[in-house]
Amino acid sequence: MTEDLLIKVENVTLRFGGVVSLRDVTLDMRRGEILAVIGPNGAGKTSLFNSITGVYEPQEGTITFASAKAPPLSVIGKKTYRIAQLGVSRTFQASRLFSALTVFENVKIGAEDHRGIGVLGALVKGPRTRRGEHISDNIASEQLRFVGLVNEAGTVASQLSYGARRRLEIARALATDPELILLDEPAAGTNPSEKLELTTLIRRVRDERGVSVLLIEHDMKLVMALAERLYVLNFGSVIAEGTPEEIRANPAVIDAYLGTTPEEAGA
Amino acid sequence: MNLLSRASLKRLVVLLIGAVVAAVMTGAPGGYGVPAYTGIHGSLLERVSYFGLFTTQRWTIFLTLAILAWLFVSMYLPRALFIRRRMEAVTSLPTRVMQRRTNRWILIAVVIVITIFLPKFVHQQFWMYLIVEQIGVWILLALGLNVVVGFAGLLDLGFAAFYAIGAYTTAWFTGVLPTPAPFNHPIPTLWCIPIGVGLAMVFGILLGIPTLRLRGDYLAIVTLGFALIIDDFVGTQSGVTGGGEGSLTVPKFVLNMGFWHYHWEINPTPYYYLCFIFVVIFLVAFTALEYSRVGRAWVAIREDEVAAESIGINPLKYKVMAFAVGAASGGFGGVLTAGLIGNINPTLFQYQVSVNVLILVIFGGMGSIWGVAIGAIVVQTATSYLDNYQPWGYQLNDLYMYIGALLIIMMIFRPAGILPSRRRKREFQGYEVAHEGHLDEVLSGDEE
Repeated sequence: MTEDLLIKVENVTLRFGGVVSLRDVTLDMRRGEILAVIGPNGAGKTSLFNSITGVYEPQEGTITFASAKAPPLSVIGKKTYRIAQLGVSRTFQASRLFSALTVFENVKIGAEDHRGIGVLGALVKGPRTRRGEHISDNIASEQLRFVGLVNEAGTVASQLSYGARRRLEIARALATDPELILLDEPAAGTNPSEKLELTTLIRRVRDERGVSVLLIEHDMKLVMALAERLYVLNFGSVIAEGTPEEIRANPAVIDAYLGTTPEEAGA
Repeated sequence: MNLLSRASLKRLVVLLIGAVVAAVMTGAPGGYGVPAYTGIHGSLLERVSYFGLFTTQRWTIFLTLAILAWLFVSMYLPRALFIRRRMEAVTSLPTRVMQRRTNRWILIAVVIVITIFLPKFVHQQFWMYLIVEQIGVWILLALGLNVVVGFAGLLDLGFAAFYAIGAYTTAWFTGVLPTPAPFNHPIPTLWCIPIGVGLAMVFGILLGIPTLRLRGDYLAIVTLGFALIIDDFVGTQSGVTGGGEGSLTVPKFVLNMGFWHYHWEINPTPYYYLCFIFVVIFLVAFTALEYSRVGRAWVAIREDEVAAESIGINPLKYKVMAFAVGAASGGFGGVLTAGLIGNINPTLFQYQVSVNVLILVIFGGMGSIWGVAIGAIVVQTATSYLDNYQPWGYQLNDLYMYIGALLIIMMIFRPAGILPSRRRKREFQGYEVAHEGHLDEVLSGDEE
């Protein structure tokens, strides 16, 4: 693994019974990159995310995550929460906020250190617990300021607009202090002005926070504006890789999006 | 609304004067040495004094009613009126937060004072026993189950198992079971508290680790199975647990600290205060837990386990923790019951007990500590009254008919419980200024 590689997916195959969701997928991502994965519905984009975050366990292949803090290690077979603690954070296709909690609490949970037991600390409220509370309060308000939700801090998460929910999810993911953030269709269900805000926000996540971004998105305008490199998945396989310009000109990609079958495309 | 505002205090004075006048004017006066009962013939108050809960002087009842009415009028009534909204428009958020905090402390102080002096007004020992056994202990049980069901969102149908473990551990370690005490050395009942709590917790963890990977319904079935096993074990293993008779001779609590010695005996009042202390400890501890990182992690898991895991929360660990805390409180209730009643037998720990505790939690409001405590007091008082006085041709077996109807009505009109938890209520109400002053401090504080 070269110095600047952050994550390396090699020959990953994921099956559910007879259905092949990912077929021999190879992908690598450099530290500090904004990388997008695109593809038609059912192409295996979310499966790829779920494999990286430990929700699914691929049958073949390796996924190596090179944290700046630790030697490169394989994430396959690791629990989701472990991978999150290692520095891989994510958002979800349909936003999954803690809807009964306030915006602030949502982010604070992400900022908190979930190792250790904590029950005694909660009961005694010693200096360590109070310091922990203070630190996570500060991290949480920092994230809210970053995504521009400070004024909504006391609002219940379920009351937010769609675009604000997306930003809150990003804030929550950032609160875990990740090195890599996976965004699963962050612009789904948002209006054009919110899309513009999100584009700026995602770029700031990389530029200001130094967090690498791996993105799934259907909105081509947003993808082409943001991504420095793209991978195109179709029927579980990588069919193209390159810069936005290269992808736009790639015949296999055009076929996949215009609906020709892989056989025709290959022929 | 500020309870200490001029208008509010004026209202209190008026209500108190009214109460004294009403107390003086109603009913026959008590003679020397004869307690004066409320004399409104056929009134509810007369009934209250009939069933013996308050055979006390009129004025105490009227003054209590006046204070409660004042609290209610000042704190809850205006919320429903649009006046409140106009009030809020002119008061700043920090002021409102301060008022709400003051009001909360006044309310807590009033409740504590009433609770401390309650035994003075309850003249029948029988009712004191009921208050301790049927209310005090059950508040503790309900608070414990609330951690599991309300905070962590795990349906536990076998809570009675931990209750039984606590009680039988006490009997075992005090040497009153057919099995000899460990090392043949019986220990005082009070020392059984850490042992019973610890053992229940160990059972909770052992049961939790393999089963808490399951979700929802499966977990409920496993806990139910566990409770049935424990129930069966204590009922049938006469050589170990005394079988159906259990044990009749669990020693009472004795506190011996060398310089100070206290023996809890027949009189229920000391048990009342013992229970009271533990209830306060539980209330404080569980409130602290709810608003700690552990409490937030529980809510996160309850709301969305996948999302919780994606930000580094280990769901299994936190679920086992909730389960262990719940089990520990169950065990605690068991030890207390054993030391209190002095005799334990399998009927105390039947499956029905698990359901009853769950009903208290649902009725009071899942996840709401004060709601659950109030729910326990209301439901347990009502059932004790029905069982012991059998009004309106009530039969013993009718109880669950009434409770069932109550639950159905609750689910229709107040699905989140009598006093819903703030977090759960939000799911229904939506916007609310949460975290109160704290949030402002945090958000403005580190701008500096």
